[in-house]
This record gives sequence, C-alpha cells and structure tokens, in this order.
Amino acid sequence: MMTAAQFKMYRSIANRSLQKVLAYRISYIITFLANSINLLAIYFLWQGIYSGREVVGGYSWDQMKTYLLVTFLANSVLSWYSESAISGKILDGSVAVDLLKPIDFQTARFAETLGSSLLEGGMSTVLLILFATFLTGVTFPGSLPVYILFVVSLLGAIVVKFGVVYLAALLCFWSTGSMGIVWTRIALTNLLSGALVPLAFFPDWLEKLALLLPFQAIIHTPSMIFLQQADTGESLRLIGIQLFWGAALWIAGRAMWNWAVRQVTIHGG
Amino acid sequence: MKMSQMLYLYKRLYVQQLKAILEYNKDFYILMCSAALTQILGFVFLWVIYDRIPDINGWRFWEVTFMYAMIFLTEGIGSLFFEGTWRLGRLVNMGELDRYLLRPVPVVLQVFCTGIGINGLGNLLIGGVIVWQSLVHSPIHWTPGKAAILILLFITAVIIRVSINLAGNSAAFWIRNAGNAFPLMVHNLSDLAKYPITLFPQAIRIFISTVLPYAFISFYPATYIFGKSGWSGWWLLAPVAAIGSAAAAYGIFRYGLSKYESTGN
Repeated sequence: MMTAAQFKMYRSIANRSLQKVLAYRISYIITFLANSINLLAIYFLWQGIYSGREVVGGYSWDQMKTYLLVTFLANSVLSWYSESAISGKILDGSVAVDLLKPIDFQTARFAETLGSSLLEGGMSTVLLILFATFLTGVTFPGSLPVYILFVVSLLGAIVVKFGVVYLAALLCFWSTGSMGIVWTRIALTNLLSGALVPLAFFPDWLEKLALLLPFQAIIHTPSMIFLQQADTGESLRLIGIQLFWGAALWIAGRAMWNWAVRQVTIHGG
Repeated sequence: MKMSQMLYLYKRLYVQQLKAILEYNKDFYILMCSAALTQILGFVFLWVIYDRIPDINGWRFWEVTFMYAMIFLTEGIGSLFFEGTWRLGRLVNMGELDRYLLRPVPVVLQVFCTGIGINGLGNLLIGGVIVWQSLVHSPIHWTPGKAAILILLFITAVIIRVSINLAGNSAAFWIRNAGNAFPLMVHNLSDLAKYPITLFPQAIRIFISTVLPYAFISFYPATYIFGKSGWSGWWLLAPVAAIGSAAAAYGIFRYGLSKYESTGN
C-alpha cells in the first residue's frame, strides 16, 4: 500500500505536469482548436447523414449530437500531451534517469497523466458547455445519479486509456520512433472505442468483437451512461468492466516494463 | 538556376535522406503500415455509415470515398517527397537553417529535402487503390480528354497540398516554440474537404475554396469526374488555385526567411 510520503511525492509529480500544460498553453489552445475542427467536420457530416431521416442505427439526431459531445470530452481528457510525454522519455533516453530514482515509473507516469487530464478535462468541459448552449436538442440527463455515474465512468475511461497508451509507449523501447506506434494506437482506439461511430452501427460480428476488447470502456461506456441507454444496474456493471480492464492493463504494463528495461539502449550522453 | 539543375540537386539530396531512413528499417515498416491502417479505418467508417443509408446529400459511397482518398493520396505524395516542410519548425528553432543559407542552392529546395515521410508510401498505396476503385465502381464515360483533365487535376491537387503545407509551416518564423501545433491545425482543416462541401455552411465552403483551397484537391475534381451538373465548370479554377497557392506559399516563405534571425549557438 502507498504510504503518505509516497502519496505526497506522486501528487507533486501530478502538480508539475499540470503546470507544464499551463506553461505551453498557446500550443495547447491551438491543438484544442485543431481538434475542434475535426469535431466540426464530423458534426456537419452527421447533420448531412440525418437530413431527411429520423433515426439512423437506433440513434436520433438529438442523441447523436449528444454522443458527439461526450466523445469529444472523453477523448480530450487524456490527450496527445500525456501520450508523447511517455514515449518521449524513452526515445530521448531520459528514462535512464528515471531508472535511478526511487519512484515507480508506471505510477509516476499515471500521476503525470492525471495532472494534465484534470486541466485538459476541465477546459474541455467549459468549452463544451458553451458549445452545447448554441446547439439545440442536446439531451442532458435529468437525474443526479446519472451525472455521478458518468463522472465515475469518465475516470474509469482515463484509467483504461492510460493502460493502452502506456503499453503502446513501452513499444518504443523496441522501435526507434514513436509516430507510427502512436498513429496505430489512435486509429485502433478511435474505431474500437466507438469514437468514430457508435458501436451499434457496426456489423454484428465487429460490434461483438469490439465489446470484448478494452477499448470500448473509453468511449462506449461513458456515452451509454450519459445517453441513459443503460439503467443504473447496467451502468454499474459497465463500470465494473472498466475497472477490470484498468487493472488488467495495469498488470500487463508492469509485466511489459520488466521486459522492456532489459532492452534499454540509451542514445547520446 | 535552371530547372534541370534543380531536379538534379533534388534527386541527390533526396537519395541522401533515403539512405538515412533505410538505416532504421523497423520504423520504416511501422510508419508505412500505420498510415495505411489509419486510412483504411476511415474507409471502414464510411462503409459502416453507407451500409445504413443510400446517399449523403446526393453523394453516393464511391463518390465520397474518392474525395476522402484524394486528401490522403496527396498528403502521401507531400510526405514522401516534400516532408521537409514539416521539419521547418525545428530548422528555425535549432538554428539549423544557417547551414542552408550558406549553400548556393535554393533554400526552399533544401527544406523540401530535409526528410522523407515514409508513412507517405502507405498513404500513397492505399489512397491510390481507393481512388482507382472509386473510378471503377462509378459509371464514368471515359474519353482521352477526360483522362487528361483528370491527370491535370491530380497535379494541381498535389501542388495545392504542398503549398499549403509550406505556408502553414512557415509560421515557425513567427511563432517560437509552439511545436507543430499551428501547421497541424492548418493540416486538420483538410478534414473538411474529405466530404462533400455542400454539407457545410456557406462561410466554410468559401474558406476551403479560397483561403485554404483544399476543396480543389477533392471536391471540385469529384464534381467534374462524377458529372455533378450543379457544379459544372468550377473545376476549371483548379489551375488558378494551384498557381495562386504556390505563389502565396513561396511569398510567405521568402518573407519569413527575411525575418529569420539565427538562434546563435
């Protein structure tokens, strides 16, 4: 179990990463705008798809608008920054310094991720609420428990996404670049988590496959809860599955780290 | 400097980069595959949607995939042969551009050859296959004239793409230490041109037809090839857009270069 002193140490790591996002705020804002462009393109595409149609794939247009906003939020809480920070450490060799510190690498990276996620998530929420007020028909859930379950599921999504990102980043021990791995990770996550289209749109076999994989916990679960497509019992079950994947990926990350540090090649000096 | 000389220099510089890339061949394959995979998954997205509806705003599946793939295909050529534009930020911020200024070779040519985006090969292959399939699956009445115009539109598309990349990355002369964020935002705007521009409000349509003429890469060629009568004739402006964006991009680059002060280290 973590002692108080250790907790304080990891909290200061989280704090520092939060400050780093603040220091690079122009860069962050531009990246955020860039992501908003994607949202805009996808929004108008769906509007075109729904023109003259009431329901597509079991989703009404109002539900789809809500789905897009939830997806955007869930995707922006753990962004590019957290991701490139881990692989960057491995590629530029500064991981060597981390090996010397009496800190658990994985926990430290998770603390870092949480730190920046908090700020990024907060900013996204504010902007999304602004955005949502200009949209008509976005369906907000009416009861408090749904919001609580939603926030819990978002936290669960961060844990699962961190697990995926961490595993992908450790692959950089074996390759010498991160771009290809990151792109592949993003492409797979976007498709199988439901970030591109709700999983219900998939052909049957692909939907079944996606539900068996960890990715669905990142987007599918929070959106099901927010859109109230899952009742309270079902929501709790979905969050349970998130926790299972979070733990499984954490253990896998640990095993892979033990393998990876033995492959270490540090460039430069 | 004569054109033949420029081409010769380009070839020499390019081959040097190629040698460097082949040293790290693991990355070579990963990057190529990841680019192809990203594009295929986008294709799956369209396929899943079209499985449920026959058309979007009157555009059928293979017509939209054509536009979608043109964006990727031109990007592929951009990264494969002109990847250096994306390294401009680093060249400026690290003061590496000094070296280029000393050589009697056009700076822009050296910038173009600063790297090779091998991911472009994946985009080129998959994009090519999708464009080809789009043309095969659509009822097009082929004539030699039509084929010639298609090739012309393709060349203008590549010129527009590379010009916008150069112009966007020239922001490095003004914005210090922002990484690639600004040019990436400019690049992301091409997402809008993956789909028929008729989906968007008037302001966005005008924007991606004039300021950043991405629509001339995908949409206007598609209106010509698939005979969309409502837009006939607009594709004629593609060469104008290509020359305009090339001139503007080069102008911005030159102007930025005149503002360049070495970081001095």
